[in-house]
Amino acid sequence: MTAVALSRYRPRVLRIEIRRSVVLWSVPLLLALFFFDSFRTAAGLPPVWTVRSSVVTTNMIADFGPFAAGLAAWVASREGRRKTGDLLATTVRPAWARQASALGATLFWLLLTFLAEVAAIYIDTARQATWGGPPLWPVAVGVAEVVTFSVIGFTAGALYPGRFTAPLAAIGGFLLAEIGYHAALGVQPGTSTYALLSPATAVPLGDDGVFYHVAPDLAIAQVMFLGGITVALLGLLTLAPVFRVSYRGLLAGVSRVGRWLCVAGVALLAAGVAAAATAFSLTGTAKPGVSGWDIPALHDAASDQPVPYTPDCAGTTLPVCVQPAFSAFLPAAAAALQPVAAELKGLPGAPVRAELVPDGNGTRNTQGMLFAGMPKPGVSGAPPVYNFNSDNGMAPLWGSPAGTDNAGWRAGFQQVFLSTFLAGAQHAGMNIVTPAQQAVVTGLMTAIGSPAPQFDQAFSGNGQVAGGASLAQIAAAAQRFASLSPAARHAWLATHLAALRAGTITLDQVP
Amino acid sequence: MNIELSDITRRFGRNVAVDGVSLDVGAGVLGLLGPNGAGKTSLLRMLATILPPSSGQLTLLGRDPRQPADRREIRRRLGYLPQNLGYYPSFTVVEFVEYFALLKEMPPHLVPKAVAAAVEKVDLGPRAKAKLRTLSGGMLRRVGIAQAIVNEPELLLFDEPTAGLDPEQRVAFRTLIRDLGQTATVVVSTHLVEDVGAACSEVALMSNGKVVFRGTPEELTARGEAGQGVGDAPLERGYSAILSAARSAS
Repeated sequence: MTAVALSRYRPRVLRIEIRRSVVLWSVPLLLALFFFDSFRTAAGLPPVWTVRSSVVTTNMIADFGPFAAGLAAWVASREGRRKTGDLLATTVRPAWARQASALGATLFWLLLTFLAEVAAIYIDTARQATWGGPPLWPVAVGVAEVVTFSVIGFTAGALYPGRFTAPLAAIGGFLLAEIGYHAALGVQPGTSTYALLSPATAVPLGDDGVFYHVAPDLAIAQVMFLGGITVALLGLLTLAPVFRVSYRGLLAGVSRVGRWLCVAGVALLAAGVAAAATAFSLTGTAKPGVSGWDIPALHDAASDQPVPYTPDCAGTTLPVCVQPAFSAFLPAAAAALQPVAAELKGLPGAPVRAELVPDGNGTRNTQGMLFAGMPKPGVSGAPPVYNFNSDNGMAPLWGSPAGTDNAGWRAGFQQVFLSTFLAGAQHAGMNIVTPAQQAVVTGLMTAIGSPAPQFDQAFSGNGQVAGGASLAQIAAAAQRFASLSPAARHAWLATHLAALRAGTITLDQVP
Repeated sequence: MNIELSDITRRFGRNVAVDGVSLDVGAGVLGLLGPNGAGKTSLLRMLATILPPSSGQLTLLGRDPRQPADRREIRRRLGYLPQNLGYYPSFTVVEFVEYFALLKEMPPHLVPKAVAAAVEKVDLGPRAKAKLRTLSGGMLRRVGIAQAIVNEPELLLFDEPTAGLDPEQRVAFRTLIRDLGQTATVVVSTHLVEDVGAACSEVALMSNGKVVFRGTPEELTARGEAGQGVGDAPLERGYSAILSAARSAS
């Protein structure tokens, strides 16, 4: 009877590698990093799928990349560090197959951890999101990035199996992620777009993917580029033994490694370089589209159509309607606008409805690519509708639903609404110009119990606000206006609204 | 013959580590003796298909190791214990032996039984599930022996196999290689002449890259008694006598 218990399973090298992988020891650290950085960052973003999923290719990769490169380098340098080269050289299985098992086990744990982290973000988002579903392209790009970082580290470890290779690979991975990130942030329309190959560029605007589909063009190019690098490095790894024995001549090396293996290595190297080069050149043609970046050769024009939806509405005095993705913000937005809408109700041009419209900021705005046929922020139409967007100046719909329902956000949302109505969309928020307009907005907000708003002031040489009034005078006029009865305020506004909007009302004329 | 060497030379730059060695070895245990730097390890590494010879003809198990297909077949039937055994500390004894059995491409269904047998043969059954980092130097040596014999090789190469073993284990090891030598060719490179006397059916003595003696342990002993060798044991006297003669001849 043998003392060694016989295994009931058929052993496999990969199974042993998975069981004894050094990556397993790093999983708790990776999970802790994830929780304190990526998960918290995602939880702080609006529960919109496209927005939350951007964390997968930004924070998560920044945390994961250096570890993936360092751990893979540590695994690959094992034979050199542990001096098992002679022993392994006498075995039948070729070096590439042995390395494939070690790399496979490393990727198994890294990808399992990565996908578990993605699942955590997506489950959390699913619990809060009110519209849409989990986007898969960021996951594909993230997986490609983890694999590429791992293969870069593994190649470094296999070719230079020293004890410092792993930390150097980790530092290299960190720098690569940072450089890529900063290069990507610097991409502007009209400039070189090659930095878009860094997946860190995939930071969407607040409503990307909500009103329009996010085109997968850039994600396809990124996966192709990362995949190309990975395949090329695998080819290099396959060919490495040829160059190790090159002191006896390249042909001798080929003979010792095996002709077919050399052919496979060269083919992998060529295919990888070709894929990466193709992706590189495709990215050079990228241009801003309705939702992200379009690459003409990959772009499907049909995806540029608006996504149909039925808005969610709330509010009695002023119905407030939002795209269902933003339904979590609807109660707070509707509650904020009802009292100010009551003050304006019946006035000429007063909005009868408020509606969330697509954001026009960022690259699209720079290109003048505000959506054709879609309303712009401001009050427009007949009957008049107040259009606001998710990046609403002083009161963006960023933050958790609970976070938006606070006094500061509420006051900001009201101020934007009032100043847009009284001074026009170009002066929304703090950029209101005349002292009388400031006094009226402040008076209306004071009357409904909101905190007095702040305005950007253009001071004249004598310390007075442009327009010839001091802040104290504006505050006094606002107080006078707030102390009027609602009917008196409404009557004055009905009479003087056109002049107030035109900027011809002086502070002394405010009752 | 499992090993056929014809005028084998191995150079490292200008240094000639193995200098025109010719040797035919069949089943049995061959002890490879010699001082430090004599070329034993280089010769063993060539026999293990790690190093190609710089010149000469090498045939192992009837095959030419320069040909990839032949080399794979040789390695399938080869066991090797290097002088410095590298190992992965996080592996258990069983996993390490299993790992090498699989790399030697043993049929997976035979591996568990073969691993258990190899581990038992080196008396590591009770520590089979211990991590390698927890083992003593002698135990690690036995793990190395277990991985070398797990595939029941026809050609076994041991480089300093008894270094670090306690006396009891050395006796057990000698018994083991005597048993293995019944069917396989076992080459044992060592400094310890008593191992050779106890376990080897043949002895080759190397000096400056050349084989300067080939014979039985008894013949080596006889050379010591006839010559001017020094040492406490008869084999040691034979060893030193031959080396002295080789040095004075060169």
